[in-house]
Amino acid sequence: MRSRVRWFVAVGLLALVVGMIGGVPQAQTQAFKVCSDIAWPPFEWVDARGQFVGFDLDVMRIVALLKGYRIDIQNLAFDSIIPAVVAGQCDIGASGFTITEERKRVVDFSDPYWESNQAVLVHAASGLNIITAFKAGQIIGAQRGTTGADWVEQNVIKQGINVTLRLYETYPLAEQDLINRRIHAVVEDEPAAKVAVKTSRGALKIAGMINTEELFGFLVRKGDPNRLLPRINDGMKEMKRKGIWNNLIEAYFGVDVNLDRVAQCYADLKGWLDRNQPEAYAENLAACMSGQTYRRP
Amino acid sequence: MQRLEKLELIWQSLPLLGEGVLVTMTLTISLLGVGLLLGIPVALGQAYGPRPVRLLMSSYERFFRAMPILVLLIVCFYGLGFWGIYVPAFGTAVVVFGLHSSAYQSQIFRGAIQAIKEGQLLAARALGMSRLQAIRYIVLPQALRLSLPGWSNEYSGVLKDTSFVFAIGVTELTRQGWQIAMRTREIFLVFITVAVIYLILTYLGTWLLERIERRLSVPGLAGQRREEHGRVI
Amino acid sequence: MSSEYKVSSEASFVVRVADLHKRYGSEEVLKGVSFAVRQGEALAIIGPSGTGKSTLLRCINRLTEPDRGRIWLENTEITNAKTDINKIRQQIGFVFQDFNLFAHLTALDNVRLGLTKVKKLSLKEATERAMIELRRVGLAEQAQKYPAQLSGGQQQRVSIARALAMDPKLMLFDEPTSALDPELIGEVLHVMQDLADEGMTMIVVTHEMGFARSVCDEVIFMEKGVIVEQGPPEQIFTQPKQPRTQQFLSKISELYGRTSS
Repeated sequence: MRSRVRWFVAVGLLALVVGMIGGVPQAQTQAFKVCSDIAWPPFEWVDARGQFVGFDLDVMRIVALLKGYRIDIQNLAFDSIIPAVVAGQCDIGASGFTITEERKRVVDFSDPYWESNQAVLVHAASGLNIITAFKAGQIIGAQRGTTGADWVEQNVIKQGINVTLRLYETYPLAEQDLINRRIHAVVEDEPAAKVAVKTSRGALKIAGMINTEELFGFLVRKGDPNRLLPRINDGMKEMKRKGIWNNLIEAYFGVDVNLDRVAQCYADLKGWLDRNQPEAYAENLAACMSGQTYRRP
Repeated sequence: MQRLEKLELIWQSLPLLGEGVLVTMTLTISLLGVGLLLGIPVALGQAYGPRPVRLLMSSYERFFRAMPILVLLIVCFYGLGFWGIYVPAFGTAVVVFGLHSSAYQSQIFRGAIQAIKEGQLLAARALGMSRLQAIRYIVLPQALRLSLPGWSNEYSGVLKDTSFVFAIGVTELTRQGWQIAMRTREIFLVFITVAVIYLILTYLGTWLLERIERRLSVPGLAGQRREEHGRVI
Repeated sequence: MSSEYKVSSEASFVVRVADLHKRYGSEEVLKGVSFAVRQGEALAIIGPSGTGKSTLLRCINRLTEPDRGRIWLENTEITNAKTDINKIRQQIGFVFQDFNLFAHLTALDNVRLGLTKVKKLSLKEATERAMIELRRVGLAEQAQKYPAQLSGGQQQRVSIARALAMDPKLMLFDEPTSALDPELIGEVLHVMQDLADEGMTMIVVTHEMGFARSVCDEVIFMEKGVIVEQGPPEQIFTQPKQPRTQQFLSKISELYGRTSS
């Protein structure tokens, strides 16, 4: 961590000089830059030790291992990722992007790697179920621009049910309002909703699921100039074949998983990745995250 | 029991928040430096330059004051990418914020120059000093002193503006707080802590500038007013 | 009514002014002024406010650029575009009505700055010289004080010391006592009188008729941008030839009492 601090200072000073003489092109490295908004557990987040962890990032790391290239992970605001990929500042966008026709016009997507449905979160003490949650007069929260918000718009409000849709910049703010009982329900991605239930200490529960069948994909610059998509798609297939995929899903989305363990688990186990043994990494990560015994490299 | 856990959470978050503070402060200090280096010539150009220079400096100042900082950041960082020029995010941030701040700092400095009596410059010229000497030995030392209160404002202003830089991937204090909040869902607690840190940083900075101001203060210098007749030399 | 004073090339003239014109917009403030000052002479310029006296003084070291006419300092033509005006200004001391001491510098530094930055003296030499001048105006004790800590009279004496330190060939005083409280005027006039007695060549724009009469060797009465009358003080103050001069002097004596010292 300290070296990162020093890096910041050094780069800051260097950049000051470089930036002032007009910017010198960076030397082309062999590594590809993976950009992600690392604040979205369990897909990607920053753990208590400052490590970048999560499902998307592990998939990116392991595919790179299997296909023989290096990656640098860059933490970047979600809204900036597609512009950065288009401008060539990032090679891969890996941040739980839903594959949409609109996005396909500006970037290319990998094969889908995740199917997400929407969960309806309610306060545990409210007694609401998936039907009563959408009663007339209720206030429903969702993150602006998400499938959840769209679903409420299309399937509740446009059907003539008089609910109020309150939009938030980001869903944890909606969850906070739900805990404070200022709104009646929140519609959001299932994995995120599960995390919310766990961290709310019993204040929230999932009233039910809505099948929207959104698909997540990794994205690259239009035309895939670095020929990355075949490698990513191949790599993901290989992960599934070798059982790595299921172990990662177990590690991040399993029933007994405590995401707070990740700081310890990742620190202990990332050596497996350095030793080029992704199978051992995924297997032990799944064990560690659900509190079972695991083997360090 | 739960309260204790929350205290512990804050305690454990301090190293990460500290990293954020370091980035925020490095950025703030660098950008103020760049802004100062650019802002002074802009102000001098506006106050003493020939007409074309004055116009140029005024348009520079207006341009950067009109531009939202986020737009500038994105245009510079991603725009240059289209031309195949890849600049480091932190360097881009320093330069973009520096340019933006130089416009504001030039205003502060120009105000200070205008507060200096015309006779000061006349007296220097009458001694046989060149324009440049008069500006260097008479105008600058006085104007810099008069600018210090304005810079206190500028410091606390840009300190908060730096939270925009995550748009180009620089993780500063607010973003560090955000990342902790997303992990722990303790949004309120984390951001109260972040707010307190900003408060401390603002207080420390203005305290330091006030100290400098007092250290450099000269009796009677702040109370001067501009003479009515226009530019003489 | 411009003076018919003949411009001579005699070396004993320190400053010569020939046919000086200056216009601010539509108003012509100097309409052809000519005169000369000999080595060691103290010249007083008197006249009503707004008649171009200060402009004339500022033209002499080109703090104000004249529109037309020529000025020489000894044999150097000040008005020549090729002349390095900064070199000329070093040789002409200028004392302003409102002192214009550098507000951020002590009295000592005010006097020293021109020596170190313009004359490029070492700090030690400059300090010695500056202290001599401060002693001469009676302010050695106040050397470390800032302008705001000094009285108006003290500030004006520092500004005289600042000008003298540069070893000027000519001193220009632009109403040096007009901004002072009456009780502070004396100390400044006293310093100026000493200076004149030591043989400093000086031009003094002033409303202090007593000073003009008793200290100066020559007096010019100016009005509306021209020299109305010029002569020794006895002549100007006791037998003015021009009716305008008489009117002005009688008005002054009504306002300020007797003009004799």
